[in-house]
Amino acid sequence: MEHHKGGGGFSDVMTLNGLRLSRSVLRLVGELTKLKKLTLCLSKPEESLRSAMALTQVSSNKCAGGFQKVFEHESTELKCKMKFAIYLPPKAETDKCPVFYWLSGLTCTEQNFITKAGSQLAAAEQGIIIVAPDTSPRGCNIEGEDESWDFGTGAGFYVDATQEPWKTNYRMYSYVTDELPKLINANFPTDPDRMSISGHSMGGHGALICALKNPGKYKAVSAFAPICNPVQCPWGQKAFTGYLGSDRSTWEAYDATVLAGSYSGPQLDILIDQGRDDQFLSASQLLPDNLIAVCSEKKIPVVFRLQPGYDHSYFFIYSFMNDHIKHHAKYLNA
Amino acid sequence: MDLTGGRLNVIAEEGEQQDFSRQSSTMEAYRAVPEPGERTFQRFSVNTNESLRFEPCEDSCPSPTGAEDGHDDVFDKGEYEDEIISIRNQLQGKVTEMENFAGHLEEIFLTVEENFGRREQHLEQHYNDVLQTLSQRYDERASGLQEEKKAKLESLYSQLLVCGQALDASKELIETAQEIYRCQDKRLFLKTVMPTIKRVEEFAKEDVDLALSTGLEFSTPIADLSDVKTMMDSINIVPAPSAPVINPQLPNSATQTSLHVCWSLFSDDTVEYYELYYRPVLEDVSAENTFAPQESKIKVKETHCTVTDLLPNAQYELWVTATNTTGISPASEKALYMTVPSPPVIKQRECSSCPEAALIRWESGNTNPVDSYTVELSETGTGGAKSNITESIVAVPTCQCMIQLQAGRHYLIFVRAVNVGGPSDRSEPISISTTGTFFYLLEDTAHPCLSMSEDGFTIFYGDEELPITAMAFEDNTFTRCVAILGDLIPVRGRHYWEVEVDDETEFRVGVAYKDADRDSYLGANNSSWCMRHIRTPSRHKYEFLHNGWSPDLRITAHPLRIGVALDYDRGTLSFFNANLEQHLHTFHCHFQNYVHPCFSLDNPGALTLHNGIAAPDYAFI
Repeated sequence: MEHHKGGGGFSDVMTLNGLRLSRSVLRLVGELTKLKKLTLCLSKPEESLRSAMALTQVSSNKCAGGFQKVFEHESTELKCKMKFAIYLPPKAETDKCPVFYWLSGLTCTEQNFITKAGSQLAAAEQGIIIVAPDTSPRGCNIEGEDESWDFGTGAGFYVDATQEPWKTNYRMYSYVTDELPKLINANFPTDPDRMSISGHSMGGHGALICALKNPGKYKAVSAFAPICNPVQCPWGQKAFTGYLGSDRSTWEAYDATVLAGSYSGPQLDILIDQGRDDQFLSASQLLPDNLIAVCSEKKIPVVFRLQPGYDHSYFFIYSFMNDHIKHHAKYLNA
Repeated sequence: MDLTGGRLNVIAEEGEQQDFSRQSSTMEAYRAVPEPGERTFQRFSVNTNESLRFEPCEDSCPSPTGAEDGHDDVFDKGEYEDEIISIRNQLQGKVTEMENFAGHLEEIFLTVEENFGRREQHLEQHYNDVLQTLSQRYDERASGLQEEKKAKLESLYSQLLVCGQALDASKELIETAQEIYRCQDKRLFLKTVMPTIKRVEEFAKEDVDLALSTGLEFSTPIADLSDVKTMMDSINIVPAPSAPVINPQLPNSATQTSLHVCWSLFSDDTVEYYELYYRPVLEDVSAENTFAPQESKIKVKETHCTVTDLLPNAQYELWVTATNTTGISPASEKALYMTVPSPPVIKQRECSSCPEAALIRWESGNTNPVDSYTVELSETGTGGAKSNITESIVAVPTCQCMIQLQAGRHYLIFVRAVNVGGPSDRSEPISISTTGTFFYLLEDTAHPCLSMSEDGFTIFYGDEELPITAMAFEDNTFTRCVAILGDLIPVRGRHYWEVEVDDETEFRVGVAYKDADRDSYLGANNSSWCMRHIRTPSRHKYEFLHNGWSPDLRITAHPLRIGVALDYDRGTLSFFNANLEQHLHTFHCHFQNYVHPCFSLDNPGALTLHNGIAAPDYAFI
């Protein structure tokens, strides 16, 4: 006991010294980390860029093993705050995943697709990230933007407007084909070489023109009840007149049927579902026959399925979503 | 044996000496071995190195460490070591060989001894027999002579008696005559003389037989010694052999046309040759068939024989007799042997396969039933090199077999027929690749208007219309739809095949249950699912028909090569434009029974089936 006590005094001194030592070491380490961060910031100029592309998470919900999130960011193309929805499958936690872009139809926001289309289970199974942007710039205080449901807010038509007062903000084509993919690839575990596109109605038109105008950019394309020939239908004529002006020749750059006629590039495989009881089909807003005729002539492979009894709603989309995810997965995961 | 062993050891040792003398100067010490006995030899044979290091005549056993040292000293040049070891091994091998030979010799010696003893005993017995016979003969002859002598003496004696009596009678007569002569009384003389004279005259007439009634010679019959002679002769020959014992059939001793038969004799017998008899056993010998199969005979010296030129898969009755100079043995028991069957013939056109399995069908190749079949498979390498049999499936009772295989390999499969005689030769092989699903078309289901290419994979619907009377409809043929079924392997896995058509061909391709209605169009009933192409003047129309209903869809690029993907587990049947890898349609149906691919032509044209191709990745997403 005695001996031990004496020894104890010695070790107390040691401990004291040790504590002092460890404290100073900790301080040093702290300084070092700060320095490292600083040098990192200095050596990486993208860092500043990233701050410009900063994302704000609006919501996050666990879904089908992964996460359904909504982010907000400041768009440089559209000069306004934009929201987009992103579904991250469980696979994204460990691997880089392909991205499926979904373009919604008239009046929609990023919410419609993620709450109604039921795409997440299939996307989780196939390991695909789904990005669903909004359908137009919002809150840009342009005169007349909220006057009608088929033009202006919620009706960007995925074109780059050339006409005042729309041409500053309504650049949805550049947004979905350029800015958004860059933003997504910079912030999420994606494989930039594997992307595909799909959409519904106006978004179906968007998906088709994005694929036809950018041969090879999208590995797969599909559409639900797309506006196939906007140049020929009331919706398209109204929107294109507004955004692109009265010169019809400029419209053709955004018309799937016209674009298909001059398409040359890698083999496409287009899957189109159309409800037979779709009111807009009978109202000649969608005109799929025109596209099919051109594709038949140009030997662009299309499978067009006329689904009896289905209308234009998300109930219709929900019913065939799995087929479309599979169609995309075939090319994205090839 | 000990002696022999010792001698062999010496020989072996000398061999070693010679070999090592070239290598080492220390052989001087080695040569000093005075008396190579058992013990020294053992030491040499166990470790030759050590014998070089140590005085070989030393009795104390050298330590193993010493042996190692010796090894280092003498054989520090490693190059000799291998040679020495190999020489030592050779010598050890020779020693073993010679020991074996000595053992063999000893065995032979024992056998000779044994045979000699037996022979000696045999001879002795024979001589005893001969002596006994001779003495018996002597006794017989002696007693015969005795009898004869006695009879002769008796007859002589009785003759003597008769002579004596005659003498007495004549003496009395003489006395009577003398008495009369001396008589004085003339009258009395005259009275008595006359009868007496008469008596004398009479007496004189009586001729006394003085010849010997019996011969003096003894009749000695010539002794018949032939039997003794035979006995004497038979001392030098052996007894006729007893019946040999025929062995039951040994496994793998028979071939398709030959039987190898073995039998044995009793060790006492000496046999010059055997005669093997055989005849086929006819199972269906009916009453009216009095024709008994002819028996055949082979003469052989050995106790085994291979009978050739027989019928395959047939039962034979065999028996054997042994013959030597003395005679023929009785026949052995009759043994039943069986020739092995002819090899089966694989029916190439009725075999099918998929990545997981193959279904092999064959013909027996034999008119009468065999016991079972054996299926053998060997995996062939990519270079086509044959490997050994990797797997055998035995005791297959019927003429077909489902074999589990591994995907993406190449196999050669053989079949053998088996009966009690053993397995037949291998059949011709069938080559199976498990890259994809492979099947042939079922010709018996084909509509009479369909014809097939030689390889069986292209079907044609000719232009000329057959009159309905010319059409031979059988139970299984399609009667309404110009269709044919494919013989898909019954495995509930994934199957993929492709169909090639031309632009204008109107066709239906898909699957159907085996019992699908033959009198309706494919897809028109609930037992068939198919893709249909209709050529209208304005466009190509495609239908995906089941139970008469099709979804409404348009296909802009006309598929000329259609991929069909069947997945039993998921219950899907998908169609693809194989050239574009484009998905066209998927049926969802949990097929309760096995389905068969079906193909039909709705108008004159042709359609080609492509088989055994690996399913593309997209086919089963």
